[in-house]
Amino acid sequence: MNAKWIKIMVLAGLTLAVIFTSVLMAQNKMIQVKGSDTLVNLVQILAEEFMAKNASTPIAVLGGGSSTGVSALLNGTTQIADTSRDWKQKELDQAWEKGIKVTLFALAIDGLSIIVNEKNPLNELTMEQVAALYKGEVKNWKGIGGPDMKVSLYGRQSNSGTYTFLMEHVLKNKPYSTDMKEMNGNAQIIEGILSDTAAVGYVGVGYIVDKSTGKVMKGLKLLNISKAKGEAAFSPLDKDAVYSGKYPISRPLWQATNGSPKGGVKAFIEFELGVEGQKIVEREGFYPIVGPLAEQNLKNLK
Amino acid sequence: MKNHQISKAGLAILCLLAVSSFGWGQAAVVPPPQTFTTTVYFDYSAFATTNGYLTSNPLSNKFHFRRAYFTYENKISDYLKFRFRYDADNTVNITSVDFAGKSTKKDDKLRPFIKHLFLEWSQDWLQSRFNIGMIETLAFKPSEDRWGLRSVAKTLVDGYKDITGTEIKATSADIGVSWKGALAKQLRFALGVHNGSAYSHAETDKFKKISGYLQLVPVAGLSIIGYGDYEKQNDNQKAVTTKIDVFFDMISKINISFEWFNYNNEMYMNTDNSHYQVGGFSVFGTYKIDPDKFTVFARYDHYQPNSRLSVKDQDLIILGLDWFAWGATGRLQPNVWIYSYKDAARKQDVVFNLTFFLSF
Repeated sequence: MNAKWIKIMVLAGLTLAVIFTSVLMAQNKMIQVKGSDTLVNLVQILAEEFMAKNASTPIAVLGGGSSTGVSALLNGTTQIADTSRDWKQKELDQAWEKGIKVTLFALAIDGLSIIVNEKNPLNELTMEQVAALYKGEVKNWKGIGGPDMKVSLYGRQSNSGTYTFLMEHVLKNKPYSTDMKEMNGNAQIIEGILSDTAAVGYVGVGYIVDKSTGKVMKGLKLLNISKAKGEAAFSPLDKDAVYSGKYPISRPLWQATNGSPKGGVKAFIEFELGVEGQKIVEREGFYPIVGPLAEQNLKNLK
Repeated sequence: MKNHQISKAGLAILCLLAVSSFGWGQAAVVPPPQTFTTTVYFDYSAFATTNGYLTSNPLSNKFHFRRAYFTYENKISDYLKFRFRYDADNTVNITSVDFAGKSTKKDDKLRPFIKHLFLEWSQDWLQSRFNIGMIETLAFKPSEDRWGLRSVAKTLVDGYKDITGTEIKATSADIGVSWKGALAKQLRFALGVHNGSAYSHAETDKFKKISGYLQLVPVAGLSIIGYGDYEKQNDNQKAVTTKIDVFFDMISKINISFEWFNYNNEMYMNTDNSHYQVGGFSVFGTYKIDPDKFTVFARYDHYQPNSRLSVKDQDLIILGLDWFAWGATGRLQPNVWIYSYKDAARKQDVVFNLTFFLSF
């Protein structure tokens, strides 16, 4: 055998060794959950509770926005994608192209909450008024019966599912005002509103209640929302109103897997959707899944 | 104007600018999401043969710079995006200009050039995306995306000239417009009109390249793409590329792809007076052992290098591993290239590359 082939054999051997090692390393891999910032805290808590009983199933939970989760599932870099909005047709088409069978699980119900600084005297808004604020059609609170001060809009970045949900369901697919401050997460929106008396923002209901007091976080005011002028306005803290749809901007929060979940992923999702997991959902300020969504979850788990 | 007058005028302009910028700062407009990214890749190449067609010089093992991209992207709104990308190539023997000496010279320095400079306008209607400017062309974008290892090797049509030394007027970027969309989840399309002279040449004729593809996804995980482009070379002669891609993604973590193309240019004639026509096919596959850590890949290309010069066919096999050693920021990609030739006078070449891929 000449030197050339010895070199080739050595290189091939090294390559095989690396591949073999990598396969072994891949055996005990961590379950990845990526996506919605609305869900990230809740799923982190669920994962911690699950891992306390299942130490051999490590779970890593990352935010980054619903679009990040969708991309990760499409690229195969996560087992579970969290989204606070429905999957877009374009994303479902991409999944179809890549042979990914998007299987959805409703994890919780959220009443998307419109919040202002506690010094704002307004107590309620109509859907139309919320849209007018975020489209930039109303630039002064006086325009909707509030004080004479310029509206300061707080929202999320476009990779956020909440950004997309509000745009689709409240702004009716019209663009946000260019004056909106695009914040990284729910906590940043709350920080902004606490320090800005002219502010308005939107966050998941699980972010506005102070766990120690069980009341809305000090410094914030939660606005009741009505479907239209003259109709009754409801709070996202009103569970019945959220379930019945009387609170007009409620939504399911989703998790998606590629096909029916198996192994550790299945065990984790079963835990989340089970009695214990749904109690944690409620404890963290969201609402548990009931009715047809719960039935669909069970079907998708099979 | 005296010096102190110039100074006063300069001061006034500076004050004006300062006031203006203060005013802008007061507005509640938040800058749109903007990103700056850099991607660099280079090889350490070791030549396992010393008597092959390419490796008989003999060649010394070496670090070999391949590419550096600097990309600025600005998401202006939900429907509008702008991209500016510099590319620094392995520009051996590029000519530099000595302005002082009013002369030019050749050297091995790496110099950036503009690769992309386009606006992308998205619309919900047919999931449309319109690109305008120095755009990505359509010829091999789907296969490049599927292969995903440009740092290791370009795909068949894109890398054709690099491998065979023969120009087939295929470029990854050009000035023009393109429209991509979807008629249904089973049927997508793309259309483009561009100069045809590529990003590195000036347009010198009135003829433009028209390109397009139809992508059929009959079942989840199976794509079939038919591509064609057409450009008149002069008043009487034309060049046509036809291409078929098949992507198979029906098995978890495994992707198998097939690419075939044919290029016919009536402006060039073979020695037997037939039209200049070349082609080839490529089969490649990846297996994601762990999508965040390791992917193994393999590829087989068959080229018809140049029917005009009667150079015989050649094959290329590439095998390797993509190791995300530092996550997405730093990847190590050991790979072996094995060239073989139908021409018995040409001996096989074997080259080992350790490719360093850095992105930040």
